[in-house]
Amino acid sequence: MKNHIQKIRNIGISAHIDAGKTTLTERILYYTRRIRAIHDVKGKDGVGATMDFMELEKERGITITSAATYCEWQNHHINIIDTPGHVDFTIEVERSLRVLDGGILVLCAVGGVQSQSITVNQQMARYEVPCIAFINKCDRSGANPFRVIDQLREKLGHNAVAIQIPIGLEADFNGVVDLIARKAIYFDGDNGECVRIEDIPEDLLSEAMQRREELIDAASMFSDELTEAALEGDVTENLLVRAIRKATLTREMTPVFMGSAYKNKGVQPLLDAVTKLLPCPSDVENQALDTDKDEAVITLSSDPQSPLVSLAFKLQDGPYGQLTYIRVYQGTLAKGDAILNVRTGNKVKVGRVVRMHADQMEDIEVMPAGYIGALFGIDCASGDTFVAPGISLTMTSMHVPDPVISLAIVPKDNEAEVNVSKALARFTKEDPTFKVYVSDQTGETIISGMGELHLEVYLERMRREYKAEVTTGMPRVAYRETITRMGEFNYTHKKQTGGAGQFGRVAGYMEPITEEDFVFENKVTRGAIPTQFISACEKGFRKCLAKGPKMGFPITGIKVVINDGSSHPVDSSDMAFQAAARGAFLEAYAKSEPVIHEPIMKVVVETPTEFQGAVMGSLNQRRGIIVGAQDEGPTSVIEARVPLAEMFGYSTVLRSATQGKAQFTMEFATYKQVPKAIADELAKKAAEKKKNVA
Amino acid sequence: MLKKDLILRNPLRLMGHEAEDILPEGGFGAVLARAGVGKTALLVQLALNSLLRNKNVLHISLDDPVSKVCLWYEEVFRNIGNQYNVKQIDQLWEAILPHRFIMTFKIEGFSVPRLEERLTDLTEQSIFFPQMVLIDGLPFDETVRNTLSDLKTLAKNYSMHVWFAVRTHRHEKPGPDGMPAPLLRVADLFEVAIQLQPVEKEIHVRALKGGTALSDHPALLLDPSTMLINLGNSTT
Repeated sequence: MKNHIQKIRNIGISAHIDAGKTTLTERILYYTRRIRAIHDVKGKDGVGATMDFMELEKERGITITSAATYCEWQNHHINIIDTPGHVDFTIEVERSLRVLDGGILVLCAVGGVQSQSITVNQQMARYEVPCIAFINKCDRSGANPFRVIDQLREKLGHNAVAIQIPIGLEADFNGVVDLIARKAIYFDGDNGECVRIEDIPEDLLSEAMQRREELIDAASMFSDELTEAALEGDVTENLLVRAIRKATLTREMTPVFMGSAYKNKGVQPLLDAVTKLLPCPSDVENQALDTDKDEAVITLSSDPQSPLVSLAFKLQDGPYGQLTYIRVYQGTLAKGDAILNVRTGNKVKVGRVVRMHADQMEDIEVMPAGYIGALFGIDCASGDTFVAPGISLTMTSMHVPDPVISLAIVPKDNEAEVNVSKALARFTKEDPTFKVYVSDQTGETIISGMGELHLEVYLERMRREYKAEVTTGMPRVAYRETITRMGEFNYTHKKQTGGAGQFGRVAGYMEPITEEDFVFENKVTRGAIPTQFISACEKGFRKCLAKGPKMGFPITGIKVVINDGSSHPVDSSDMAFQAAARGAFLEAYAKSEPVIHEPIMKVVVETPTEFQGAVMGSLNQRRGIIVGAQDEGPTSVIEARVPLAEMFGYSTVLRSATQGKAQFTMEFATYKQVPKAIADELAKKAAEKKKNVA
Repeated sequence: MLKKDLILRNPLRLMGHEAEDILPEGGFGAVLARAGVGKTALLVQLALNSLLRNKNVLHISLDDPVSKVCLWYEEVFRNIGNQYNVKQIDQLWEAILPHRFIMTFKIEGFSVPRLEERLTDLTEQSIFFPQMVLIDGLPFDETVRNTLSDLKTLAKNYSMHVWFAVRTHRHEKPGPDGMPAPLLRVADLFEVAIQLQPVEKEIHVRALKGGTALSDHPALLLDPSTMLINLGNSTT
């Protein structure tokens, strides 16, 4: 029975900082008997309070934020998957969200929906993760769970419906009334481990009945059976749960639970809700891409007998070596199986298969569809898909966005140098959007990624986790070159003055395109260029793209068509046609009015309304186009498009302009032409640099 | 098709208004219809027309978040692009974006002094100088006259004209001259009023006030699939 897929829950706990995610996770692990004692994040000795979560975990030797922690509740297997709270790492976020089937959105009963809650909610919405909400900290002064429910509706657009009401609030918070079972629940014992169920207190009875009516009204929208039962006054617990579950799975309703994890109240009913309301793996449709059919989308079956499809979603260095966290989507992964890494084409044999507990691991033999576990000794990158040999499905597109920003780094000493290379090897494996190369001009190590913060976090991790101190150069923006009009070429490469001769002529035109980076089209007829040299021509053109003639930036958005040429029976060769293509490229490029493109970021600033003007001013000064300003009462959200080159150091500027009360997120939006004045400045700098090198 | 041809297809021209801006500074225009008939789509068409002429448009929405308003513009612009086969639509889109500014308010949080405060933020720092303002979602209830009078003064001071989306209701009876109920008490403040009326499967565009009366004009329709104005070949 235990292996039944309907008894599995893969969930994430999402929250903004300080909503109590760590405390809640800790209590869940305690009640599911994964840890034996409860430690407070903010310990009375003051040690906990000054440490952040990661260090706290290290200190205590447990891995609450290990990529997936396994626990059991009411005969169900629950995997709690760590979800990053930031949006800057698109790929990392995507990966952790796609292995979840459901989520718990933790909100603070005092603070309510804050900007970071909006961010984590957006992540859940983007990946259509069904979720339940837990309003934590009902024991704090100022707690008002129903205000938070209103905010869930208004700010996040959830159809939030209370499943419980609190018994007392703030210091008097005692327990909760379960509106489905019509019972009061209290939590006794030192750590709230004894759940006591009683009748609803008299003074709460009328409120409870009213809220229950609202709940039935909301749920009956999704079940005719329930509507009928409600009319007849015969609503059973089972019927109500079924209707709520149905609406939750389609994200049409968000059931809301309440409690105080810190005071050990309300956690067990939340765990019950996880098993009753959130989806099991077979409730969720998972899709893969078929690499044989141009990445066509295929729906996977959760049948353990089908061929294996699984995703390595996280790598982690542990005391026993590298662990690869993996989720099986289809088929079964067993010890001793030979599995294929779709990206590399390598076949590997599965050695140890383990399940991670909070502070220990357990060897298991097989992992059927829907399971999450970890493998030892598998060499792969995170995001790799492992399948049974013979099928060609991949869980993630092979397309990885190009980095938009780069930074030169220099290790401070010899020891750091070794550590830096270790760290970089690890990070590039974990995150395909993070790249490292050595500049052939300066010999410096360059790291590149999707934003300033993206790189900063990796630098910080280098320092903390690998003790590698580095000095960094100025961040550099990944400019690009492209052309704006058609340009023709007709170029002859000719060297026939002694020795083996070289001859090739290519003619045609190049024109701008927007859909792709480079397209090469051969329209040569009657063998003007012999077929065997066509690929040499393409190669010649392609080689020119790496470094544009205008400023040395990579060239994109260009289509080259060759339609004529000529050859020599003896002197034509691959080399000659490559050289001819290079010459032709330079000839046409100059005529095609080349321009520089720069990455434009979508910047969203959330600020108290009184600073709206200052924030808009700061964005405007940065060549930003303000798309709009959303007034949400005490706060405003301003959305703008700003060139990345202007965004360096913006967090400091924003802090000082708003007394530290505003925050912003930034993600890559598009590439756009650089204004003439800036392009001239760039050209001047490039010329200076060239002069210095010379 | 070129940009200037697109301007010639301006929805107001199609309705027989010859002048580029039919509203004077401080002037008010209203687009009236029941919910879901196409008020916002028509407002966005009016806005795009101004944007194409490099006029600055401030779009104020009291219902929708900024992202949804953006979607309206993208959708209507794409439909215009497809309908008139515009080439290089991306470039045109990029060119008009700096001329548009979206502001959204909660209905209860919107007031003329607050709007003025925002406008001052924008103009004092030379961020944006609106020439045309669209207000979508303002409830036309008993108290609206005061708001509109204040807005009129504001519009005059800032040399702008304002278009409103006004929602009408099935159960409210129009006035004797056919003026829909929400506008009855404030019609004197408006220079132009246009009504959208669903007639069977088509949406008819009627001028209630201002401009040339459309009686001698062929029936104008709003295409329900694209929400664009067509010179109708009415089948009804």
